[in-house]
Amino acid sequence: MTLIEVNHVEKYYGTYHALKDISLNVEDGEFIALVGPSGCGKTSLLKILAGFEDLTEGALHIEGRSMVGVPPSQRPTRMVFQKLALFPHKTIYDNIAFPLRIAKVDATTIKTKVDEMIELMHLKPEYLTRFPAQLSGGEQQRVALARAMVSGPSVLLLDEPLSALDVKLKKSLQTELKRLHRIVGTTFVHVTHDLEEAMMLADRICVMRAGEVLQVGTPDEIYYRPATEFVSGFIGETNLIDCEVTRSGDTAAFKSETIAGACEGLAAAQVAPAIEGGAAKLMVRPEKIDFAEGDHGLDCTLDGKVEEFFKKGATTQYRVRLTQNDQLIFVELPGAPDVPKDVGDPVTLGFNRADVYILKADSHAG
Amino acid sequence: MRVKEVNWSNKGLLSATGPLTIMLLLFFLIPFFMTVVLSFQSTQYYRLQWTWDLDIWKEVFSEYFIWRIMWRTLTMSALCVVLCVVISLPIAYALINRMKSMENNVKILIVFAFLADAVLKTFGWVLVLDKSGVMNGFLAWIGLPEIDILFSPTATMIGMVYNLVPYTIFTIYLSMDRIDRDLVRAAYDAGASRFRTFWEVTLPLSKPGIFAGAILVFVLSLGVFLEPKVMGGGTRPMAAELIRQSFETRVNWPLGAALTLVVIAIGAITLAIAGKIAARTSAANATLAQEDSK
Amino acid sequence: MTLKNMFSPNRREFLLSASAAAAAAGTGLMPRAAQAATSMRYMCWEGYDKPSIIQSFEAANDATVSIDLITDSAAGFAKLAAGGYRDFDVVSSDSPWIARMGPAGIGEYLDDADFADAYAGFYPQFQAPFTPLQHDGKSTGLPTRWGWVGPTVNTKFDTLETWSSYAPCFDPAYKDKICVMDWGDWPILPMALYAGIDPYKELDKAELEEIRKVLRALFKNTRAVVADLSVAQKGLLDGSFRALIGGGTYATSVLRKDGHKEIMSIVPDKKDGLNQGIIWMEATGIVKGTSDVEKAKALVKHMVSPEVAVELAWTDATCNLVPSKNAEDVFTAEQKDALQVDYAQTAWNGSHFHDVAPNIDDLLKIFQEELALSQ
Repeated sequence: MTLIEVNHVEKYYGTYHALKDISLNVEDGEFIALVGPSGCGKTSLLKILAGFEDLTEGALHIEGRSMVGVPPSQRPTRMVFQKLALFPHKTIYDNIAFPLRIAKVDATTIKTKVDEMIELMHLKPEYLTRFPAQLSGGEQQRVALARAMVSGPSVLLLDEPLSALDVKLKKSLQTELKRLHRIVGTTFVHVTHDLEEAMMLADRICVMRAGEVLQVGTPDEIYYRPATEFVSGFIGETNLIDCEVTRSGDTAAFKSETIAGACEGLAAAQVAPAIEGGAAKLMVRPEKIDFAEGDHGLDCTLDGKVEEFFKKGATTQYRVRLTQNDQLIFVELPGAPDVPKDVGDPVTLGFNRADVYILKADSHAG
Repeated sequence: MRVKEVNWSNKGLLSATGPLTIMLLLFFLIPFFMTVVLSFQSTQYYRLQWTWDLDIWKEVFSEYFIWRIMWRTLTMSALCVVLCVVISLPIAYALINRMKSMENNVKILIVFAFLADAVLKTFGWVLVLDKSGVMNGFLAWIGLPEIDILFSPTATMIGMVYNLVPYTIFTIYLSMDRIDRDLVRAAYDAGASRFRTFWEVTLPLSKPGIFAGAILVFVLSLGVFLEPKVMGGGTRPMAAELIRQSFETRVNWPLGAALTLVVIAIGAITLAIAGKIAARTSAANATLAQEDSK
Repeated sequence: MTLKNMFSPNRREFLLSASAAAAAAGTGLMPRAAQAATSMRYMCWEGYDKPSIIQSFEAANDATVSIDLITDSAAGFAKLAAGGYRDFDVVSSDSPWIARMGPAGIGEYLDDADFADAYAGFYPQFQAPFTPLQHDGKSTGLPTRWGWVGPTVNTKFDTLETWSSYAPCFDPAYKDKICVMDWGDWPILPMALYAGIDPYKELDKAELEEIRKVLRALFKNTRAVVADLSVAQKGLLDGSFRALIGGGTYATSVLRKDGHKEIMSIVPDKKDGLNQGIIWMEATGIVKGTSDVEKAKALVKHMVSPEVAVELAWTDATCNLVPSKNAEDVFTAEQKDALQVDYAQTAWNGSHFHDVAPNIDDLLKIFQEELALSQ
């Protein structure tokens, strides 16, 4: 069932065009992440969902009901704010109970529900009488989630609630969020600028830039089949190599001056749907590249020289300067105690056709 | 920040704190000390007698009329505080939430009204409230009967509130302005109405400003002089008028000094009690501060 | 009622602007100040500081005069007595206080012969030796302004006959219609006279209690206790106040000057053999230890000369009578009418001459108490 329908939404702040023709459907129980750099419009979209901002044009339905003109208090959504927005003058109990009190729920039910919540959130019962400032950042986070979920909203809106935390705490709360989503089954709309976080948590990711939706898809689709050069570069390092592509029925072929070897027989799905043929970018993720030595069995090869290497523990990254066009290629190999190549060593890199994706070059890619 | 040990002979420290110390000595401590000394003297036929006795203090504590005036001053001041806070809350709220575009203009207007000479403003009010004044002209124009409130306690209160309300407007405004907008959004998001949000979130978080404003207004209203005299018609004198009468008309400086000390004591005791109350609710305030520092 | 009247300066408010101006003059903002040979300090009531009066003296005597305005005669005296006299050269204040300066050791005695020319132009009752300003046969100062204290009424609302006694002050029909001037002893003394008690002699406890009762009754009918002249005058004009008590000519004549001929100050009829009016008088004396006695005398002479007396009688804030008969000849008929010159002799005859009451401390305390407890 489609829970949220965003149809051709436009948003202007004065003359600033913040959201451009946004359409997005969210399924009931889905965990969707809105991702993009700051200023991409993800927070505006979230605020429109919450009802803190009006849309300029277009339609928004939640649970089949038009949300235009409906104030936040009347929507089936609850927000977890970036800075949490816990009421500093209320105890933890009162914070969590707040939405229930507003809804005039009787005291016994409130008590039961708050207790359920602190159990669900792994909060200690003695915290209930404390004030938010007496809790750690992570604990406050759990309280904010508890307050948002206590009255059982159908949509939980999360406005980068993890962005202010340190890495370790962030990781543990990401796990927590995933667990919560699994247990509660509520629809989560999670705004973040961290694509890695989005990939970890979300069922689907909506990548945005400059007020536009670039791609909506599963984490795998976003990672391995990015719609544009921008999407491909948004997470981790990747390698994009100029090429010419030709389609022929179910297959496609590419040609590149830097790549030697078998360049035909790609599946049609390995070329972005928007591409008919002609100039494009060939994307191959660093971990899909290996040194082509001896009987390597790799389909395509590239020649270059090791410029630098970084030992990262689980992996070792090499940066290889191509001989033909001086392009820098990233190679991510499983970590090993010894270093098979040193700086300055000439190397041949190789990859398989199946690990390649061909995407559109951004018109003004930097 | 670490506190460094500094020697009193440190020239830098002396030159840095010297001016302030001298100012305090000259304009506060010495006059205060002189007032205390004066209260143990007496006057005879307009001339000060250095008698060093407790006669004046005996008089202060035995005269019923003095305490009647002190009580009146206290109740008028308390009422003034309540009115100032009640009037300032919606004004500060409107400044922040409803009139963002006009906010600065309104603030400038309030500051201008505030800075205008108090004597002028008070006499201006006489023109407004007078029997043949602006207010009654307006009432007659819309066909209502005339009201004669000049020279009444009501007029005194109007004057006091008018002259002192900017203090509460600004302290409450500053306090409200510091409230994270997301807290208000969170309340709306949880289903609260505007009024409920104001009551549950904005009002409790404006407490520091309400406290600060209330204390300022209270202390200042203990000393109001023009309003009860000019607008109130002088038939219900307050503490400052009592002190003026003692110093100027009766030329009884020791009595005036003792009454001054009584008013200072009332102010100080009120501040101490207010401080205690504020400390009790400081959990919330401290929280707010910590929240801010994050 | 015009705005001009409303904001016309008055005793107390005048202090603010005038003292600021005086301070400016004192700090030499006026270039003239630096060049003058003598600099003098003059403590006086409003009116005496009128620029036309002071500037003509400064020009003729190569002096600068800085002004310190009095807001309360007793307070002014107390200030001098507490050592302030060292800072001043000449003082113009209520006559009892000038008379007291000599005996208190803060005033110079004057030789009446030095001022023979001035006395020659005075009304007969002010001729030397002028008793109210005498001490041990020596003169403490010269009279400069005078008038009478009695009910100030608006003849539009009341006849003068109604106020031939202070009785309406206590009449329930006049409840909330009486304005008491908050000018120290001035409103108290007429009430004592109404009670049949002469306040200028030693009073016993019973007499003080009698005065207390009259004041208590007065406050029952009192709408306002006003220190500010313009507020009192405004109320009198629009009928909010039917009488000002404790004011007299000082509160009246500027209204008459502005054409409000319906406003009059009268002296009530003799009651129980006791005059009900009071003559007030201001005098000018020289402060002990003035640096330049001749200049100080010149200033006193300046103040009593007919030309200056006319100026002094006719100021923006108040209009008052002067002792100089020669000045009377200079007044226009219009001015004489405003000053109620024709009534002056009647008033004089029906009045006591003001002095400091022996029981003034008690009386002021009674006033303070009764006012505090009245509401």
